[in-house]
Amino acid sequence: MSREIVVYVDHVHKKYCRQLKRALWYGVRDLGSALALSSGKERLQVRPGEFFAVRDASFQIAQGECVSMLGPNGAGKSTMLKLLNGLIRPDGGTIRIRGRVGALIELGAGFNPILSGRENVLINGAVLGLNRAEITRRFDEIVDFAELAEVIDTPVQTYSSGMRVRLGFAVASHLKPDLLLVDEVLAVGDVGFRLKCMDRLQRLSREGTAIVLVTHAVNMLARLSDRAIVFGQGRIEFDGDLSHGIAIYEKLLDLRQEKRDEKSFQGLDGARIQAVEVFDAAGAARQEFGSGETIRVRVQLAADQEITGARLVASVQSPTSGIVSSMTTAASGFRLDLVPGVQTVELTLHDVPLMVGAYHLTLSLFGRKAEFYQRRHGLGEFLIIEPNCDGAHGANGVIRLEHSWNKV
Amino acid sequence: MRLKFVPSPPVALRAKFFVTDEMTDSHLQSSEPTETLDQRGSGDRMSGDVSRHKEIVYSPESELRRGWSLVNDTFHGFVEGRELAWRLLQRNLRGMYRQTILGVFWAFLPPLANALVWIFLFAQKVVDFGDDIAVPYPLYVLTGMIIWQSFVEAIQMPLNVIRQNRSMITKLNFPREALLLVGWGELLLNVAIRIMILVPLLIVYRAEVGWAGLLFPLAVFVLIVLGTAIGLCLMPIGVLYQDIERILLIGLPLWMVVTPIIYAVSAGVPSWLHWVNPPAGLLIVGRDALLQRSLEHWAMACGYGALSLPLLFIGLIIYRVSLPILIERVPS
Repeated sequence: MSREIVVYVDHVHKKYCRQLKRALWYGVRDLGSALALSSGKERLQVRPGEFFAVRDASFQIAQGECVSMLGPNGAGKSTMLKLLNGLIRPDGGTIRIRGRVGALIELGAGFNPILSGRENVLINGAVLGLNRAEITRRFDEIVDFAELAEVIDTPVQTYSSGMRVRLGFAVASHLKPDLLLVDEVLAVGDVGFRLKCMDRLQRLSREGTAIVLVTHAVNMLARLSDRAIVFGQGRIEFDGDLSHGIAIYEKLLDLRQEKRDEKSFQGLDGARIQAVEVFDAAGAARQEFGSGETIRVRVQLAADQEITGARLVASVQSPTSGIVSSMTTAASGFRLDLVPGVQTVELTLHDVPLMVGAYHLTLSLFGRKAEFYQRRHGLGEFLIIEPNCDGAHGANGVIRLEHSWNKV
Repeated sequence: MRLKFVPSPPVALRAKFFVTDEMTDSHLQSSEPTETLDQRGSGDRMSGDVSRHKEIVYSPESELRRGWSLVNDTFHGFVEGRELAWRLLQRNLRGMYRQTILGVFWAFLPPLANALVWIFLFAQKVVDFGDDIAVPYPLYVLTGMIIWQSFVEAIQMPLNVIRQNRSMITKLNFPREALLLVGWGELLLNVAIRIMILVPLLIVYRAEVGWAGLLFPLAVFVLIVLGTAIGLCLMPIGVLYQDIERILLIGLPLWMVVTPIIYAVSAGVPSWLHWVNPPAGLLIVGRDALLQRSLEHWAMACGYGALSLPLLFIGLIIYRVSLPILIERVPS
């Protein structure tokens, strides 16, 4: 079903400055130009010390859509959320929002610990934009949802942190905005309450609220969201199907160069792992696969001298789960003799039983007596992007076990 | 969902990027009927019927360019924020004394102590102004102090409310004007408490308060407006640089010394200083009105009084335009 667009983000840029003194001074200058009726064109110029936290972002969100914003820390997700919430203004481009915006960003903002839960519900509701009649009408519902009926008249300082979060979520989720921004709040509370929160969000989404979720708890998204926008260093790296997005996100998490380098080691000179390429069963170079497909990995090895009985150790790694599996030429009884020059070895992974996500290989090259030549990390990346994860196919875990269901 | 799909090609939308809210509203209603009336928010929606159609546009352009619609938004900020302001005010007041034994008595104690100091000094003949002041000295000082303090607190109010509610401002979008309403509410409450202490003293010292006494609250009101306007203009820089707060801390007592509060208008500083000191005239007139003396400095008071409202208007616009810029610079 086609629906009305709620959010238009059009070539939006936002820059920041990390040095305090400069940031403050730029603040004064920005104030000056705002009061001098500036057209805002000069705001795209990068002054010393500034960088783009969000760079040329464009997307649209329709009614009832639930979009996950993924990305490593500092990739620009939270900045984007603040822009959507109207807390800060873009430095370039335009954001247009049709309808009311609600935010579950800091649960219980404005809670006063000395006051009772009841008083705080009224205050928090007002902060979030519910009027008196709405709060009064929904008060019992909110308290029921938070499961705090017995303690609602005791001061909030006697509540556990979980209880506070529950109360905060209960109030915030009883607004019914056209666009709801949710930032990292689903990771709190016990499992039971978390599921309840998800149900609540699902219901809002069904009723037409567009939802933007920011979370690192990727495995919880599948129940709610079917679209992912992946940020990497301020840019939108991917916008599309959630499973694919999760894989791209995991790849971004792992493939920051410094992380790759710190896990790579150089041992003896004389032999090197030169390149690794990934192909499908038919021999075509590919990086995206479905679960259960066969993947061929070709490893180029360069040697300066003859090395008989060399050993290659390969491990398949997932950025979120670590080493998934490992294999060696020696254990497979594959004899690897290197001659001076470049040679290619092919490793075939049959019917790869991995679940949706990003994977890569770590390769180590040894001589016959375990002399260590080289270890390289983060080579031969590939993504498993199918089957789509939704309520039925979870994205949890790494291994897809052979299984069947029967009624007995 | 009973909402109809509306084909709205991005190109056509880009053409009306920089329209104001009102224009967009009418545009949407005329050529893009997104929903028919009965389909609008089922009443269960947070938003009212009208705002279902309101489109918000965020762009790098200075908000001042929006002209009248910015003024309109400021006005609506007060209207929409009044309920929130009331809740926050209640929260602040209830929270303030809940963990005390003496409770609300603490609100009365500082001004009471202040009054007792001046009564004591007067009784001990430490201060003696002779014929310069025709009314009992404690009354003279306390009346002046009430007016002065409301002015000073109004100057500090905008910066204070932003400081106190920083975590809320940087995380949630709500009508920012609500915070000013809270600030004014607390300020008026403080004034009321001080007046409650002044009233018995007026009776004790047999002051004759006539109809002119009504000018006293008016002077307090105008000074609050003037003080808030000054505070609003200082707020943006004050949020970025703590220097402003420190300057106020040192400067305001000095300012008080050059204002005729603890000494007679005719004594102390040269009279031209009263003319360049905006609160001086208003303070003198307010005090004279209450204590039934001639209203000599009314011209001065009217001049600065007339200035205060336009100044407040400018301050409110600065407040609204500057907050998004400040939020990105202050730590949450």
